[in-house]
Amino acid sequence: MAHPAHYREAHPMVFVLTHWINLIAMVSLAFSGFYIHYPFFAGFMGVARGMHFFFMFVLIINLTFRIIAAFFVKSAVSLGSREVDTDIKNWLPQKANRHQFLAWIKYYLFMKKDHPLGAKYGVLQKIAYIATVPLTFVMAYTGFSIWGPTMDWSFFSAGAGWVGGYMYMRVIHYFLMWVFIVFTAIHAYLANVEGFAPSGLIFAWKESEGLHFDKEGNPAGGKAH
Amino acid sequence: MARVVVDPLTRIEGHLRVEVEIGADSKVSDAWVSGTLYRGMETVLKGRRPQDAFYVSQRICGVCPISHGHASTMSAEDTYDLTIPNGARLVRNIIECAQYLHSHVLWFYTLAALDYVDPLKALSADIAATYDLALAVAGKYAPAGFDVRVTDFGAVQKRVGEFINAGLNNNRLSIFTNGWLGHPAYPSEMPAELHLIAVAHYLEALQVQAEASQIIGIMGGKFPHFMTSVNGGTTFVPTEEKLDDVLYRLMKVVDFVNNVMIPDTLAIAPYYAKDYPNEGIVSSAAYGAGCKNYLAWGVFNDPSFELTKRYLPGGVIKGLDLAAGVIPGLEDPDPSKVMEYVSRSWYDSADGLNPSDGETSAKYVDYDVNGKYSWGKAVRYDDLPMEVGPLSRMLVAYLRDTEMQWPDGVRTPKQLIDLTLGALGSELGLTGPVPLAALQSLLGRVAARNLETAFVADLSVASVLELVGYVKEGDVKWFEPHSVSDGKGVGMWEAPRGSVAHWMTVEGGKLSNYQVVAPTTWDIAPRDKEGADAVRGPIEESLIGAPVMDPERPMEVVRIVRSFDP
Amino acid sequence: MAHGNHDALYSQLAARGVTRRDFLKFCGSIATLMGLAETAIPQIAAAVEAAALTPRAPALWINGGACTGCTESMAQGMTPDVATVVLDLLSLNYFETVMMAQGGPEMIPGYQEGVVEAKPELTAEGAIKTMLEEGGYILIFEGTVMTGFGGNALRIAGKSQTEELPEICKNAAAIVAVGSCAVDGGWVAARPNPAEGKGIQQFCKDEGIATPVINLPTCPVNPEWVVAMVIDVLLLGQLESGAILDKLDDFGRPSLIFGQTIHDNCPRRGHFENGEFVYEFGSAEEAKGYCLYAVGCKGPQTFTNCPIVRWNDGASWCVESGAPCIGCGNANPLSPGGNWVDVGAPFLNRMPDLPIAGTTFQPSTIGAAVGAVAAGALLVHGIGMKVAGRMDGGAPYEDVRAHDRKKGGGK
Repeated sequence: MAHPAHYREAHPMVFVLTHWINLIAMVSLAFSGFYIHYPFFAGFMGVARGMHFFFMFVLIINLTFRIIAAFFVKSAVSLGSREVDTDIKNWLPQKANRHQFLAWIKYYLFMKKDHPLGAKYGVLQKIAYIATVPLTFVMAYTGFSIWGPTMDWSFFSAGAGWVGGYMYMRVIHYFLMWVFIVFTAIHAYLANVEGFAPSGLIFAWKESEGLHFDKEGNPAGGKAH
Repeated sequence: MARVVVDPLTRIEGHLRVEVEIGADSKVSDAWVSGTLYRGMETVLKGRRPQDAFYVSQRICGVCPISHGHASTMSAEDTYDLTIPNGARLVRNIIECAQYLHSHVLWFYTLAALDYVDPLKALSADIAATYDLALAVAGKYAPAGFDVRVTDFGAVQKRVGEFINAGLNNNRLSIFTNGWLGHPAYPSEMPAELHLIAVAHYLEALQVQAEASQIIGIMGGKFPHFMTSVNGGTTFVPTEEKLDDVLYRLMKVVDFVNNVMIPDTLAIAPYYAKDYPNEGIVSSAAYGAGCKNYLAWGVFNDPSFELTKRYLPGGVIKGLDLAAGVIPGLEDPDPSKVMEYVSRSWYDSADGLNPSDGETSAKYVDYDVNGKYSWGKAVRYDDLPMEVGPLSRMLVAYLRDTEMQWPDGVRTPKQLIDLTLGALGSELGLTGPVPLAALQSLLGRVAARNLETAFVADLSVASVLELVGYVKEGDVKWFEPHSVSDGKGVGMWEAPRGSVAHWMTVEGGKLSNYQVVAPTTWDIAPRDKEGADAVRGPIEESLIGAPVMDPERPMEVVRIVRSFDP
Repeated sequence: MAHGNHDALYSQLAARGVTRRDFLKFCGSIATLMGLAETAIPQIAAAVEAAALTPRAPALWINGGACTGCTESMAQGMTPDVATVVLDLLSLNYFETVMMAQGGPEMIPGYQEGVVEAKPELTAEGAIKTMLEEGGYILIFEGTVMTGFGGNALRIAGKSQTEELPEICKNAAAIVAVGSCAVDGGWVAARPNPAEGKGIQQFCKDEGIATPVINLPTCPVNPEWVVAMVIDVLLLGQLESGAILDKLDDFGRPSLIFGQTIHDNCPRRGHFENGEFVYEFGSAEEAKGYCLYAVGCKGPQTFTNCPIVRWNDGASWCVESGAPCIGCGNANPLSPGGNWVDVGAPFLNRMPDLPIAGTTFQPSTIGAAVGAVAAGALLVHGIGMKVAGRMDGGAPYEDVRAHDRKKGGGK
């Protein structure tokens, strides 16, 4: 069936690495976070807290690097295409994303039979990938607000006061983790439900053949050049 | 006919208003007592977890939080059908004992003493004579083997004198500002030296009550408001080091109770047990009896956990009139006989509900002694107002004396009462002891509290020794693991000031109803219905017939109200 | 300070059985409380000496909707004891629970004829009136400000307390709010706040009163903190200079007392880091004094120095007695919904119950439910994808974008 080709230009090596780092950091943060929330077995708190702080910094630095790199590294403008442009242009909404929001929702709800033509990503995907950035920084902010060494910095304590105290900041931090968990689940599901080619590319930098698309994200047929 | 209002009535826990009508014979002919604060504890607890009730409900009262906390955990344990381990029983008993010692010492010296002792008179005491008197009192009433305590009466007199001189003319009399210093109700026959001794002990008692609460601090985390008696047992694990800290402080407090507080009581009481017609003073043993119905749920569990076998046992006495020789049978207490009436209180819930199905629906209307006039509900037992507190407990214990299994080494309430009545009889120059009927009066209520202190002092030492024995045996247990289950429960207990019970209903793991009947609720109860046949509450009733020497400073009225430690 | 004054003070102290050593120990404990170095002890000693030889500072201790626990707690202080506070440091002309005077002059509607109206100088209320005229006193406020039922949730001297309270606050030099009830309403203001309680700072704000408020939360207040503040305000002259207000944090608390968490200073912190926890009361872990985090200890987000100052003259404190902190020092003076009960309950759980649709839920229940719904939705969707035959590469692509087709454009 219809399946776009996955070329290395879509995810240059540096982004494969940042993706790996994100994955490891997030899983470690979620696990250690759950443990800190409630130590469900004995003897691990010091390690869990160490993990949590270490991977928190890893995640933030990695994300910051990823954002900066987006302005310098070129990546494919569309799936199934080897044509490249500055990555940030492909990350932010592209021309071809316009007016497609409903089409994507209809497609996912089985109300539309054929697959919408996206740009590099579909509309919902773009929203999710863009939202992850501020969400990660908010997550970090809530974390710093309840972390001993920084909680009394006025930049952070002001936020705690605003949400009704450190306890509620803790609750918000906890809920945000669930937001990340749900995001990750949906992301992993949607990326792989129509085949494992995307995973092959992002994790193992493995190319796979399929449909070709032009710069605008329209089917180009034949082999790409 | 005259109306006199005391609002706020100070030196009590909380806020209270008393309004009395004084007849042509200068005696109180009618009285209204109004609780003037509503906070809504029961409403706050609704929807929360049963585990939280222990922490929150004890904060009804900062003077008796231990007893409220214990009543709350017992209501949860009753709901779950749970029996706490013996170790937890002992720890809770000791914490409760410490609160009794703290509370009664604080009440007698800090709250009540100024009604009977005039600091102004202490200034004219002769120091040498004060030592003579102190030695004489100790010689008569302090247990053998104890010498008089070293108190620098001269320094106390100097301190108080300097304090009054420095504050008199520039509005700096601190807590003595506008006090009824020099009131004619202090009998002139009571020597200045005795006033000075009492003032010195007023200051010393501040240290002693704090020592007593340090015991709670050690075993309960802090006082007021303690942390350890959670549903299912206690979080406190006694170690040798902690038990030693407890016992050290306890011995100091027990020493004070036996060698200072009881002798003081016996030294001061004779002056208030006499009429002084020339001064217009009537004996405090002649009025203030009240409703003559007495209720005690019982306190300090023995290993059986039965209400009637508690070391201060539960019981109900209806219509006791010792002067007339009427001694009705003792009934076992039954929580289902408790009813609350609200037609004279600022609530619009249904009348006559048992607290297990109780409602708290506040609705304020203007204060009107002929209508609604109190935030307190009129709580009744078998439709009768009940006096609660040390007098009730001591009377019940007195009547149960022979059926009780008293712990080793304690003087029983009956022994203590009989001894005291005998001593008082000889002080007053009677041929025999003062009759037991004297207990049913203002003076009797004060004496009962102080004698109970002596009993609890003995019991607390016995309990610590029992705990030491339990720890020695080695097979210790402090907490019974349990899960929350739905149902209804009631926890009945005694605060120093009287009977306390908490009722809870648990549905879906949360409190769907919570009701508290605090000691003060019983005693400050207003009338229970509208119209002429409405029955007065216990304090209201105890005021009837009380003499009032000076309507501008109704000393007898405030003494009676304060004797309930409301 | 002149040598003669030293002698005068020490002879006064000696008359009270206080040695010079005791006195310096007291000054040392004040220094610790105020976060000052030991080198500040002579300065404090001088200030205390000066105060002891000058007339007592005027003060009123007013109880709102209180359980009297903070008064009780004040009586548990031993350095100095309460007698020293009420006889030497302060002239507490109104202090309902311990004062000698009582009552207030008042007229009773309908009984004017035979009513005995007590002279103001013979009543407790009269003591307030005199002090109001004098002004410049320290107001120590205990308990919740009760605004429910038009203020009649608390009536004193025949009227609602809120009737007279604004004037009492206005004429004060400073207000010290003792205990969580006075700070933010405490448990009285907990959901559903049936008597409409609030803290004194909120009350002053609502009434447009500018008197500075120093908040001392915890339930009850720790007497050592009250004494420290009184010394701060009175003796070091920090009220006039405004220095004391600079030392308050965002919640109006002296940051030297409330600047660190219980967790920071907890003797059981080592067990926390080791992952050694009490999971059940009365367990072997409990006997070993392990960390109480897993049974809901609120130490990590409660800012008080309880582990250092401790309670009841240093006899012990909550955690040492095996009980998890319930966070009674939590303070939200300008947001009564942030009282320690609503924030901390259920106390034996890590997180508060959140009120939703008339009942309450634990955050972990909500989180797990959201996670389960997401997982379920994905599963159902996956089945749909399978049924729709989209598992292998998805549906065929549209040839023209739907929007472009509608516009009649596209390729």
